[in-house]
Amino acid sequence: MSAPFTLRKIGVPPNSANLTEARRRVFDFFRAACRSLPTVMDIYNLQDVVAPSQLRFAISAQIRNNAHITDPKVIDLLLFKGMEELTDIVDHAKQRHHIIGQYVVGEGLVQNTGSKDQGKSDFLKNFYTSNYF
Amino acid sequence: MASLSTTSLSFKAPSIQSTRISQVLRKPSSFQSIAFGRFQSSRSLRLQISCAAKPETVQKVSDIVKEQLALSADTALTAESKFSALGADSLDTVEIVMALEEKFNISVEESDAQNITTIQEAADLIEDLVQKKPATEAS
Repeated sequence: MSAPFTLRKIGVPPNSANLTEARRRVFDFFRAACRSLPTVMDIYNLQDVVAPSQLRFAISAQIRNNAHITDPKVIDLLLFKGMEELTDIVDHAKQRHHIIGQYVVGEGLVQNTGSKDQGKSDFLKNFYTSNYF
Repeated sequence: MASLSTTSLSFKAPSIQSTRISQVLRKPSSFQSIAFGRFQSSRSLRLQISCAAKPETVQKVSDIVKEQLALSADTALTAESKFSALGADSLDTVEIVMALEEKFNISVEESDAQNITTIQEAADLIEDLVQKKPATEAS
């Protein structure tokens, strides 16, 4: 078995110079996150709940959500927040229901109440997703 | 007597080739079969060795690619199909590489991962890494 992957916590690196470097950092972050997945599954006992491929898909979906951004500084900030989230998860600073609610079930616990939402207006649906619409 | 000498002569020269042949084709290559087919097929065998990847590896890679890109089960996937032609962007390619890492229990470096564009290249890289891995673990 290849050596277990450990998340090394380095300080804040300087801003990326251009989009290419920001892109490289995104892929590095994604690779680090995917390699930490066995540890995460182990810590939160997710073996019966979800497969690592589904978690990988959830991570890539979140990255793809912000795929339209072109400013390297904004990308750096998003990566910083992503790294912070990943570090929290790997450090067991979160709990199992957080992981399941945020990454396994769907966009979040609120969205999955199912039949209760059907009669609601578009205003409320937009209101739940973001502040600006 | 004469036949014995000819077979022994022809075995000496491609000795390196013969071990690789036995590794790639995974058949118990008998003495006579190597000597027999040496002049006819040595050129084609050499070509096979340079781009060898086991068909089951290629099959496993294509399965993972299909699952990742959500392609229908009857999409024809040849070994030469490029990921970008199948509708994968760069993030998809990275995700496929990570799925392969998990499946085959290997670790792909970033420099290696950048060169992967087709299924055949991915299968070859996997073969290399799988072969290197037991060597380091044994030592």
